[in-house]
Amino acid sequence: MVDQPLLRIKELRTHFHTERGRVTAVDGITLHVEEREILGVVGESGCGKSVTSQSILRLFDEKRTVKYEGEIHFKSKNLLKISNANMQKIRGNDIAMIFQDPLSSLNPVYTIGYQITESIMLHQKLQKKKAYEKAVEMLRLTGIPAPEKRVNDYPHELSGGMRQRAMIAMALACQPRLLIADEPTTALDVTIQAQILDLINRLNQELNMSVIFITHDLGVIAEICTRVVVMYLGQIVEEADVEKLFSNPLHPYTKGLMKSIPQIDGDRSQALHVIEGTVPSLHDVPNGCRFASRCPYASDLCRAKMPELKIVKTGQKVRCWHYEEILEKEEVDV
Amino acid sequence: MKIYVLKRVLSLVPILFIVSIMIFMIIHVTPGDPATVMLGDTATTEQVEALRNELGLNIPIYQQYINWITGILHGDLGYSFFMRQSVTMAIISHLGPTVSLAIMAQIMAIIIGIPVGIIAANRKGSLTDQSIMGLSLLGISIPSFLLALLLILLFGVKLQWLPVAGYKALSEGMWVHLKYLILPIIALGSMQVALIARMTRNSMLEVLNMDYIKTARSKGIKERNIVYKHALRNAFLPILTIVGQSFAVLVAGAAVVETVFNIPGIGQLIINSIERRDFAVIQGIVLFVALVYVLINLVVDLLYGVIDPRVRLNHK
Amino acid sequence: MEAVERNAKLVMLKNDLKKEQRNLFVRRFISNKLAVTGLIIISILTFLVTIGPLITSYGPNEMVVDERLEGPSSAHWLGTDNLGRDLFTRIVFGAQLSMGVGLSVAVITSILGIVIGLYASYYRVLDNVLMRICDGLMSLPGILLAIALLAALGPSTKNVIIALSVVYTPNVARVVRSAALVVREETYIEAMKSQGASSLRIIWGHIAPNTLSPLIVQSTFIFANAIIVEAALSFLGAGVPPPDPSLGNILFDGKLVIFTAWWMVLFPGICIILSVLGLNLFGDGLRDILDPHSN
Repeated sequence: MVDQPLLRIKELRTHFHTERGRVTAVDGITLHVEEREILGVVGESGCGKSVTSQSILRLFDEKRTVKYEGEIHFKSKNLLKISNANMQKIRGNDIAMIFQDPLSSLNPVYTIGYQITESIMLHQKLQKKKAYEKAVEMLRLTGIPAPEKRVNDYPHELSGGMRQRAMIAMALACQPRLLIADEPTTALDVTIQAQILDLINRLNQELNMSVIFITHDLGVIAEICTRVVVMYLGQIVEEADVEKLFSNPLHPYTKGLMKSIPQIDGDRSQALHVIEGTVPSLHDVPNGCRFASRCPYASDLCRAKMPELKIVKTGQKVRCWHYEEILEKEEVDV
Repeated sequence: MKIYVLKRVLSLVPILFIVSIMIFMIIHVTPGDPATVMLGDTATTEQVEALRNELGLNIPIYQQYINWITGILHGDLGYSFFMRQSVTMAIISHLGPTVSLAIMAQIMAIIIGIPVGIIAANRKGSLTDQSIMGLSLLGISIPSFLLALLLILLFGVKLQWLPVAGYKALSEGMWVHLKYLILPIIALGSMQVALIARMTRNSMLEVLNMDYIKTARSKGIKERNIVYKHALRNAFLPILTIVGQSFAVLVAGAAVVETVFNIPGIGQLIINSIERRDFAVIQGIVLFVALVYVLINLVVDLLYGVIDPRVRLNHK
Repeated sequence: MEAVERNAKLVMLKNDLKKEQRNLFVRRFISNKLAVTGLIIISILTFLVTIGPLITSYGPNEMVVDERLEGPSSAHWLGTDNLGRDLFTRIVFGAQLSMGVGLSVAVITSILGIVIGLYASYYRVLDNVLMRICDGLMSLPGILLAIALLAALGPSTKNVIIALSVVYTPNVARVVRSAALVVREETYIEAMKSQGASSLRIIWGHIAPNTLSPLIVQSTFIFANAIIVEAALSFLGAGVPPPDPSLGNILFDGKLVIFTAWWMVLFPGICIILSVLGLNLFGDGLRDILDPHSN
């Protein structure tokens, strides 16, 4: 049997019922995560990257607001088909998650030790004392100094970076196969950000676990990921290995994102590139290519008909009618 | 924590000072001379003058306040000329039924209001939630004395299940005691049940939207534990505030309900004192309830510190 | 010339925006079941109470001695009381009085509350003094404070209104103050101050309008509560003195004859419940509409 990827998502659609009608925040996502790989998911806020990640763990309220479609295969199970009780066994145990703001994501009235041991005792059936030892060990692993003292601290008693380390310790307590990191560094200072990235990188190798790393920051992607998925308005517009994406971005949106990264040795007299316009509302999704309204290369075809996500020569996947013409034109320009 | 407690206690001083001035002023906002009002039109000038002296109305007003407040600090709430006993004694002898009634109404409000509010929050938008919210809106729209009358009409007059008036002390047996108090307790407690249920629901809904609830879910915690361990403890602070305030409201509300059921408590004492213009007793009772309110709020504040570690820190 | 044109355009835009906001408010209001139900209940009651005196053939204090304690009939729709007075007529006049007291209290507390709340939010020293007094007043249960005040002032309709206004003004002042404090911190208020705008203009022209939404919601609830407390006070004999009917003292008479005349408790009771329920529904609905974040 061929090596199966750890996680395989096929045509995932996540619909929300809102006061203003049904909204499809994730619209036909297909992607996979290999063993031990760090997959980056990048896009502006509102592009559906967080919804995708939370759909994997089915964190939304299925009774009232959300409806999932498609398949999410993990360890030969379709996560969208299994019972809630079985899903609870996977959450925090096989697949764990860390969030953007560690302060609001940690429960303020319990010590971090309590919050770490909670999932250890639940999933690994350890005694309280053993679980606390494990929690201290995890805190030490994430580089928190004096972990045997810190374990009794409340979240507000820690600094921002320490809190995110504690979050990571909590997520990794049961040695998950997959860690979903939803903008884990966005709320942190730059220096702390680098430390946390290093930590995730290190733990990825030491613990043999895969990571889905969600961010809006291409710089972070370059630093940590092996493969990247670019999302726009609920869809994947480009998928590529990280080197290829940076050396040869194909989708006009990806190109726009690349150009908006400030360069240290760049020309300072020139204004930073800005992608014109704003992301259309999910209540009002265009018929054709979703990026058409902001795309400098958009044609009538783009506005009328949605392009498919195609595999191209270089092994990349791109969702664009004109990527070849654009590429040729650019070569001429150069 | 010690400093936190001390700070809380000290912050009560200005409030109590203002409350004491307001209560002291009650007797002085009466139109006309209090002594004349108390004795009625038939009194002679000498009688009025004698009473004015006894009430201390002839000395400067600040001196009156100082005398009054010094007495209170020594536990002396004044003397009732109508009852021929000290106000403190009068209050103590009427305290039993009121406290019993208020405590039991409070217990009822808590053990019904909080779970019902949690259920409503958990099933937001469902028929259960809508019925609970509808009933609680009805609950806060019926004054306790009216509910008391309606209950008497139904259970006392129509069905004849329960006694409609009177009071039997706890010493006569728990069942007898309760039998006479059931209707008053329901009448008094219903509005607080409704208030606490509404507060609990709002508070729970707010907390259930927090990020840390999502974190707990992502750890695989069971839904029941998410609600009762992670959400409830955070939602508890505003609930606790309402519960704390409700006790003083219940003591005051007991005054009204007691008159409906002829229960010889503080309520009856104050109503009789109004008819007799017995200002010392009125002042004493108002001060007593204010003290209860302030002290319970203090306890609530201290409990905050126990429940929420952030509160302790902020006041270091 | 150009400036004038631009100004005219701005004014037009502003008017459009106001119209737009008004339309939005109306649309939200109509789609809010709570508010609409509440409004319907209050309207029906107000209508009944207004035309009541015209359709009854009795006076509120008119006694017919040999028609005492008669149940509902075609002559006396809701029966008669222990003195042979027509209950329907008494309830109509009583509801007029009770709702009148409630409305007066709501209006008076709104006016006092907005003045106190606004100035307290603007001047720090004043804030300390006023808010301590409010804390003091609020540390007494409303009904007890009202009883104490009425014991001192003596029972009369006017004194009930005074006592309830004293009881509820701190509530309104607190609500206005906290809304005003939020606006006060906005940058544009700072900007106006630095440009030398008078505090009078800042307070009434710019801060006050922002406190109106919570103020209106709060006064609706105070209206409802005032009806409850007035009824309780009159029931206890500390409020509206007989023989004038108020819903509270009709119930006081009703209590005396509860074993024989259920109608004397039930009908005025329903009248209180409906008016308070209507106002509470309306207030809840308004709060949802005006302040969607609160829930």
